[in-house]
Amino acid sequence: MLRADLTTDGSRRSTLLAAACAIGLAVWSLSIADALDGVLEVRSAYVNIEKGVFLLHARVEYPVSPAIRNALRDGVSLTFDLDARVDRERHYWFNANIVDVTLRRELTYHAVSDRYLVRDTRTRDQESFSTLDEALDYLGKVDAWPILVEPQLDGGSYTISVRAGMRRGHLPASLRAILFWTDDWARVSEWYTWSLPV
Amino acid sequence: MVTPGVSGAPQRRLRWMAVGQMVLWGAIGLGAFLLLAKSVQNSPEFGRLQLWILLFDICGVIALSVLLARKLWRLVRDYRAHVPGSRLTARTVAIFGALVIAPLLIVYLSSLEFINQGIDSWFKVEVKRGLSDAVDLSRAALELRTREYTGRTLALAAALTRASPAEVQTRLDAERRESQALEVVLFSAHGRVIAASLENPLENLPSQPPADLVRQVEAHLPYVSLEPEAGGHYLIRTAAALGGPGGHDDRFVVVTYPLPAQLAALSEAVQNSYSQYGDLAALREPLKYSFRLTLTLVLLLSMLAAIYGAIYSAQRLVRPVQDLIEGTRAVGKGDFGTRLPLPSRDEMGFLVHSFNDMTKKLRRARAEATQSQQAVERERERLAIILARLSTGVLAIDRNMMVRTANAAAGAILGTDLSAATGHPLPELAATNERLGQFVAALAVRFAAGREEWREQLDLDGAAGRRTLMCACTPLPGEDADIGFVIVFDDITTLLQAQRDAAWGEVARRLAHEIKNPLTPIQLSAERLRRRLLAGMSERDAEILERGTRTIVQQVETMQQMVNAFSEYARAPEMHITHFSLNQLVSEVADLYRSHAPRTRIRLELDQHIEGIEADRGRVRQILNNLVTNALEALEGVESPLLEITTQLERSPEAAYAAVTVCDNGPGFQRELLGRVFDPYVTSKPKGTGLGLAIVKKIIEEHGGRIDADNRPEGGARVRLVLPVKDSTRSATGAARERRDQLRRERA
Repeated sequence: MLRADLTTDGSRRSTLLAAACAIGLAVWSLSIADALDGVLEVRSAYVNIEKGVFLLHARVEYPVSPAIRNALRDGVSLTFDLDARVDRERHYWFNANIVDVTLRRELTYHAVSDRYLVRDTRTRDQESFSTLDEALDYLGKVDAWPILVEPQLDGGSYTISVRAGMRRGHLPASLRAILFWTDDWARVSEWYTWSLPV
Repeated sequence: MVTPGVSGAPQRRLRWMAVGQMVLWGAIGLGAFLLLAKSVQNSPEFGRLQLWILLFDICGVIALSVLLARKLWRLVRDYRAHVPGSRLTARTVAIFGALVIAPLLIVYLSSLEFINQGIDSWFKVEVKRGLSDAVDLSRAALELRTREYTGRTLALAAALTRASPAEVQTRLDAERRESQALEVVLFSAHGRVIAASLENPLENLPSQPPADLVRQVEAHLPYVSLEPEAGGHYLIRTAAALGGPGGHDDRFVVVTYPLPAQLAALSEAVQNSYSQYGDLAALREPLKYSFRLTLTLVLLLSMLAAIYGAIYSAQRLVRPVQDLIEGTRAVGKGDFGTRLPLPSRDEMGFLVHSFNDMTKKLRRARAEATQSQQAVERERERLAIILARLSTGVLAIDRNMMVRTANAAAGAILGTDLSAATGHPLPELAATNERLGQFVAALAVRFAAGREEWREQLDLDGAAGRRTLMCACTPLPGEDADIGFVIVFDDITTLLQAQRDAAWGEVARRLAHEIKNPLTPIQLSAERLRRRLLAGMSERDAEILERGTRTIVQQVETMQQMVNAFSEYARAPEMHITHFSLNQLVSEVADLYRSHAPRTRIRLELDQHIEGIEADRGRVRQILNNLVTNALEALEGVESPLLEITTQLERSPEAAYAAVTVCDNGPGFQRELLGRVFDPYVTSKPKGTGLGLAIVKKIIEEHGGRIDADNRPEGGARVRLVLPVKDSTRSATGAARERRDQLRRERA
């Protein structure tokens, strides 16, 4: 009987400990989710073919929160990535990756002009907007982004996946590695996947 | 490590492994230092290398943790198992660890505080306020320009409102030239270009108005914006609706001005500073985290390395002590071949060298002791052989009369087996042996009287007769007072008997010689006196003379018989050895006495293996007659007299013997006479010379045999004589023959 009581006490103590750990983990998760809180998802996406080039069109909803607004106002830059990958389906093994490209743009607040700048990090092209909403609206609309040409396809079934992500920009490589697990300024959406019409 | 010989390959391998570890850790430490030195001189390099440094640190921490855990686990296991040296190692590690960890923790905590304060100081409020002020200043400077351009645009819009369609293009071109604008464009309400003046119309097209501009002008409000361009250029875009506020003209004019290069550069510099500060400020906590992580890893590396080093050093320090302990235990178990490896040339090395020297001397001393012990053992074996061969009894006892050693002769003399008596108390052994009991009692009496060294004759009575021992006792030499005594004794019974026999022989010879001769003259003289004087005497005197001379003659005859008996005892006649059947002789004697004593039942038990013996038949018959006569006399008055005569053939390795045993169921020999029944004049009978058994014994000895007399346990006397079957055997071994010859020589 005493043994049973001791066992019961022990299991109760273990349960309490596990609950405390779970609560702590949840609080920690909530605390790190505050910075980029809000909806981040690929609303819609499709491709069309023009002269043998697959052009991607996507609509992405990025979160807007006071934290983001304040961070931008304080001079922090944000990086917005749109990842697109095309895989050839294989039944006997993992899918073969054909294309894996990223459209990377950077959003900054230009304090002198009181405007929001969106800059393509590859082409260095930039657009300015008077409000953050306009800038995010611009970032959320991707039209005619060439991701694939027909010669890359050699028959079979293909899937195309699109994923949006945002994170704090200008993070040194060393800190990026350190903050991989703890950075609350980095989020990615779920993959938006569909079959490629060939 | 304790080795039975000189330390060899394992020791050298361990040393090389230790050196290899030291070199490896030294190289790793040097590499880390060089990486750090290189990275701190070059910030981008630091950003690239920091990750590798961190990875390296983490790997180092993990490797060290594994090694340290292994060391600590072994240390705890040894500590619990009370392995020699483990406690000293644990104590040393604890002290070293405390000495290292305490300052490391202090430095660590101080560094943490320094990092926190240092990083916070980079982002002071004053810096941020200064940047904000710079931005405000830039904005104020740009606002003057934008206000000027806004006024010009409003004036242009008013002019265009009034201008005819033919004048519009002219005015636009004039305005672009005057204001050095990049482009001046007149849009319709739907955003269509009505007219435009461009600085380079062949290369550029009029830019589309942004949505916020359109919304602004639709509300008939002036629009102005500063738009940063790629490359650090700025554009000031102004717009105004034609017709003024509340007008009905839906057209609007948009003018784009370039910002002067100097002002643009200054503005760009302010903006860059603002952006960089913002990015850096956002990295404040991650930077702290990074530094804290790096510092913690360095601390862990230092602590683990220090503790590992402490354990390693302590074990190296304790190893010789452990070797000494193990070596001492091995020496304690008798392994003097133990040699310890020399750890170094310091004091510990001197101690180990002294230990090895000691074991070497001990090994040599033990070898010498073993040799001495073997020599002692050899001497002891020799002594044991000598003691075993001695006819003298030797008995060593301690003060509690515990037997230490006893030879075979001692057991034979005392009539018991003492071969397994060592370690047993002598009184306990004496409980079952009458002769040994008397012997122990005699010893106890003398020890109780405090006599430790004596030499005396002891008479021990037993069922087999009296035995006389010449006994000498002396304390055993030695440092131990309780070491005991050694008692040496000889059975001198036979010697005394021989002496008595010799004495009696001499007496008999003298009697025969000195007394026999005067007897005849005495007898003749007495007869002559009677013959000469008897006739002339009165009757009364004649009767006296007659009675006196008759008494003299009778006594002389008696004396002559006695002298003849002595003469018979003393003489050593020539024996006539013949081969005859002993069984037949015994039967004849028995038949003779059956007729003389019909009451007595005479039973014979004859061994048919005795074919015949070589002896003097007449004298053997005399022996049998004498023995049977004695037995029949002893059986007088016995209710059922029984006489048993037994013959038996006995063989020994040297010769064959014929034994004759004569037993009766009479009263037996008197106990006090048992040892002397064969002595002359020893008899329990009222008549007789007392020389019968003495003569018997003498004849037996003449034949080289022996005779014993004792009482049977069931009652009655028993006399047993043993004669050699062959005369040659008797001639070769008979001491009696020598004695007989000696007697003959004496007589001659």
